[in-house]
Order: sequence, then C-alpha cells, then structure tokens
Amino acid sequence: MAEIAVRLPESGVPPSPAGAFWAAFKENRGAVIGLAVVVFIALLAIFAEWVAPYAPNEQFRDAVKAPPVWADGGSWRFLLGTDSLGRDMLSRLIFGARISLFIGRSVMSVSFVIGVLLGLASASLGNAVDVAIMRLMDLIMAVPSLVLAILVVAVLGPSLTNTIVAVTIVYLPRYVRLVRASALAELGKDYVIAAKVAGVRGWRLMFTTVLPNCLAPLIVQAALGVSDAILEAAALGFLGLGAQPPIAEWGTMLADAREFIRSNPWLVTLPGLAILITVVSINLAGDGLRDALDPKMRRS
Amino acid sequence: MLKYLLKRAALTVPTFIALMFVTFVAIRLVPGDPVEVRVGERGISPERLAQFRHELGLDQPVWKQFLDYMWQLLHGDFGTSLATNQKVLTEFAALFPATLELATAGMLFAVLLGIPAGAIAGVKRGSGYDQALMGFSVAGYSMPIFWWGLLLIMFVGERWGLTPVSGRIDLIQYYFEPVTGFMTIDAWLSGQPGALKDALRHLILPAIVLGTIPLAVIARMTRSAMLEVLSEDYVRTARAKGLSAWRVVGLHALRNALIPVVTVIGLQVGTLMAGAVLTETIFSWPGVGKWLIESISRRDYPALQGGVMLVSTLVILVNLGVDVLYGVINPRIRHG
Repeated sequence: MAEIAVRLPESGVPPSPAGAFWAAFKENRGAVIGLAVVVFIALLAIFAEWVAPYAPNEQFRDAVKAPPVWADGGSWRFLLGTDSLGRDMLSRLIFGARISLFIGRSVMSVSFVIGVLLGLASASLGNAVDVAIMRLMDLIMAVPSLVLAILVVAVLGPSLTNTIVAVTIVYLPRYVRLVRASALAELGKDYVIAAKVAGVRGWRLMFTTVLPNCLAPLIVQAALGVSDAILEAAALGFLGLGAQPPIAEWGTMLADAREFIRSNPWLVTLPGLAILITVVSINLAGDGLRDALDPKMRRS
Repeated sequence: MLKYLLKRAALTVPTFIALMFVTFVAIRLVPGDPVEVRVGERGISPERLAQFRHELGLDQPVWKQFLDYMWQLLHGDFGTSLATNQKVLTEFAALFPATLELATAGMLFAVLLGIPAGAIAGVKRGSGYDQALMGFSVAGYSMPIFWWGLLLIMFVGERWGLTPVSGRIDLIQYYFEPVTGFMTIDAWLSGQPGALKDALRHLILPAIVLGTIPLAVIARMTRSAMLEVLSEDYVRTARAKGLSAWRVVGLHALRNALIPVVTVIGLQVGTLMAGAVLTETIFSWPGVGKWLIESISRRDYPALQGGVMLVSTLVILVNLGVDVLYGVINPRIRHG
C-alpha cells in the first residue's frame, strides 16, 4: 500500500508547472550547461569582494604587465597576470562580471517594464496611440543599433548610466512589439471576451487577464535580451563611449589593452573571452528556456 | 502590386519625419553651443556672434528651425562638417564605397559559407556535423566582434604574418585615382601588378569579422528552413518519383527553403552597419563607421547628425526593398 501511495504522484497526478518546466528544460544539455555557467558567473559577481584576490583598482607597481601563471615569468601571485597599470587581471575580470551583469539586468528590467506598458497601451487603446507608439518603434528599429546607441551617448555623455539608457532605448522596440502582438492575439480569444462580459475593463483586463498569457515569449525575449545588452554595452565601452576608466568593464578593459596586443596578448584575450563565455552561456540558457516554455517557438 | 508598393512606401514617411525630428532634437540637446564650438576658445565680439547665429539660423524660433532643417534635408543638404567645412553628403559619399565594399565582402562570406553549411546540417539533422555547426552558430552570434577582430589581428596578422592588419591597400607601393571607390575593382582596373592581390589581402580579415554574425544567423536560418521544407509533400513526391537525393535537396527543397533566408539576409543590413562601425575602427578601414566615431571625438555634431540621418535612410530604404521583394516572391504577404 505504502508503495502505491508513493508512486501515485508519479503516474497519476500531473507534475507542477515548475516541475514540468524543469523536465523540459533539462532535456537540452547545452541549456543546462549554459545555466550552470551563468549561475557561476553571477555568484562570482555577487561575492566579488570575497572571491577576488585583490581590489579591482589596486596597483602593484612592482608587477606591471606581469604575465599569467602559465606563461614564462608568470607567478601564482597574479593568476591571470596584471595590466599596464599593475592591476590584477583576475580581480578586474571578476568585478567586471558585476558591471556587465548589472548592465544586462538593468537594461532587461527597464525595457521589460516600459515594453509591457507601451505594448499593452498600444494593443488596448488602439488608433492614434497605437500608431504613434508603433511608428516610434519603427524609427528606433530603422537606426542601426550601435549607431543609435552612439547618438544617445553623444548627446548624454559617456558613462555607465548613459550606456544603460542608450542600450535600453535600442532594445525597447523588441519588447513593445512582442507584447503588442501577443496581446492583440489574446484579445480576440473567448476567455478575454468572457472576462469583458463579466465586467472586467481597462487596465485590469490588460494586466490580470491578458498579460499573464503573453508572458512566455516575453520571458524568453528578456533572457536573450540580457546577452544582447551585455554585448552592446561592451562594444560601447570598447569605443570609449561606455563605462569610463578606471571602471573594470570588460569592453573598456579591451580598449585599454589594444596597444599591448603585440607585447602582452593576454590583456586582449582575457576580457574578450569573459564576454564571449558570458554571452554564449546566457544564449544557450535562453534557447533552452524558449524550448521549455513554448514548444511552438522551437527554432528547429 | 503597385498598390502594395505604394502602401508599403507610404508607411516609411512617418518614420522619416520622426527620424528628422529625433536627429534635430538630439543635436540641440548636446551640451555646448554650436556657435561657440565654431569660434573656438578665444571668443569674438557680440556683433560677430549675433551674425554667426543669424547665418546658422539659430536666431529663428525652434519650429522654424525644424522646418528649415526638413527643407534642407529634402533638398539633399545634410549639413556642413565643422571639422572640414565640407558638405556632409560629400564626405559621406566619398567614404561610403569603402563601407559598401566591406559590407559586400562580409555578406558574401556569410552567404557563401552559411547557406551550404546550414543546408547540409538540415539534411543531416542530429549528426555530429549538425551539432558542431549549431555550436559554432551560437558562438558566432554571441561573438563580441571587436574582440574577434583583435584576435585575428593578433594571430593571422601579427604572429603568422599572413595578412596586413590595417587600411585598404599598401599606399606606399600602390597609388591610383579612385574610379569606382571599390578598392578591389580600382586596383584591378589600374593594371598594376600585385595591386588587386594586395587589396584582397587587406579586405579578407575585416570581411570575416563583419560577416561572422550574419554567417551564424544565416546558417541557423537555412537549417531550420530546410528542416521545414524537407517534411513537405512536394519533397516526398519528388523522392517518390525516384529523383536522386541530390536533385531533391538541391532543386526542390533548397530553392523553397531560401525564401525566408533571403528576408533574413536583407534584414542583416542594420547589423552590418552597426558591425561596420566596430570593424572599421579596429582595422583602420576608412569608411563611414570609422568616420562617425571620429566625428564624436572631434565634437563634429553636424557630421554626426547628417551621418546618422544618411545611414538610417539607407537602412530604411533597403528594408523597404526587402519587403517589396518579399511581396513579389510571396503573394500571400501582398494581399494580406
């Protein structure tokens, strides 16, 4: 009897939504690895003060441009070497993870909220509001992403905050269009009409009835949006238009390292590798999320 | 068809007006007075200042300034660069062929490699090759291309010494007047021995860097389009007729799979322009992207304004072209 009682949930009761999601997600090996790496990098970023051997801007004048431990002349004191000002690369990369993830997360959450508001307004109010919002989004999409970001930074001045503002503007249309399209699709469905008949109106209809049913593609977009934002911000940093030195931002570090490409190649290799690993992991996890949340959106 | 074309073209008009408005506002929000930037540190008499303001139209009400700005744009006047005192359009036109050449080469790299690679992956779904290609594809579209460019410079250019790492041609060895603005074509036309080879050697690394993200996107898109098409009835019919696998895949499947791929290729134009800014900066490629970045560091805001306007106009027009082309290929869009 006891055995049956234990087995019942397995066979008879449907799994919880979270359980079903995880079962689908873990099918995709790449996604699980990606998620693990993302979690690892996030932990590094959160506990940077404790994990990093040194402070990101601490200078060791006796060890300028020290090579990493595996190269000739490297030492265990500086695992990944030091940069042209004698700052420990490993510590700067770890603190850089904090900056990049912060940018990614900020851009994602701000564009998510604004995207939902504008998208729902566009879908529910229609007419002039819809036209105005959608034409504005068309405009943002017409300007190449980096060119628009450059224009915004040129106006506001280069800084970490303005990088976030610029990248948010660049990626906003994706959220707005996605919310609008899914909300329009949902608005014609029976359950929405039923809710309307029951007297649900206005913002309550949009937020409590329609929005929850638009969330799946939006969550996927948000996850993949984090990686795009990190790439874009690093590109701005590389061009000298993003986070300003001495902030340990990966793109800015690469820009600083350009002149040492011949003499001290690790200064160039490491920050780029950090960007690539982070972005690939987020994209892998995001692809897995897409497959698990909505089988219809599968790419293959 | 004409109705569809007009309808689609009319949709871009508000976008253009908004674009003019945004570039107009953006430049006015820039810190610093344009007149003071022009006269420099020493300053000038108040009368001269007032005269300057009048010449630049800055003494007019803002709405009038905006209308004037629109009027000038519609007549092809994109402003005058502060740094060189040349028309922005003239400067842009002189630099654009370099960017176009780079973008074309990058796109060729992406298409010629991406379509066959993706198609084979679609046919051999689940094989080791398929998995490897999809892995490369994720890495490709996650690539920080500015770093990718530096890596290629470091290994291919510096360590192995296979290619030059900056510029479009060896200016000391080769000199000829530009005819088309395309260095490879001009080098070929010049007839100087080795010039074409040198131009191509300069072109190859930047083209690979710029083409990497489109390559990843195109390979992935071709693969999934191929998978979709391969399960269609007409492919089964073709197989049932006893056609060779090669004919079925190449003639019946691939041709239909390419329809969505063509759209994706068209929509990569914006990505290419954004990538060109980075690629040109890394490889000192004298094109529009590098010029835009330099105009910021020189605080040459009219050049930036006109440049953004011109680049965006190009992207809008190309996207319009792609849409229209898609309507021609696919009647369902046209009548929808």
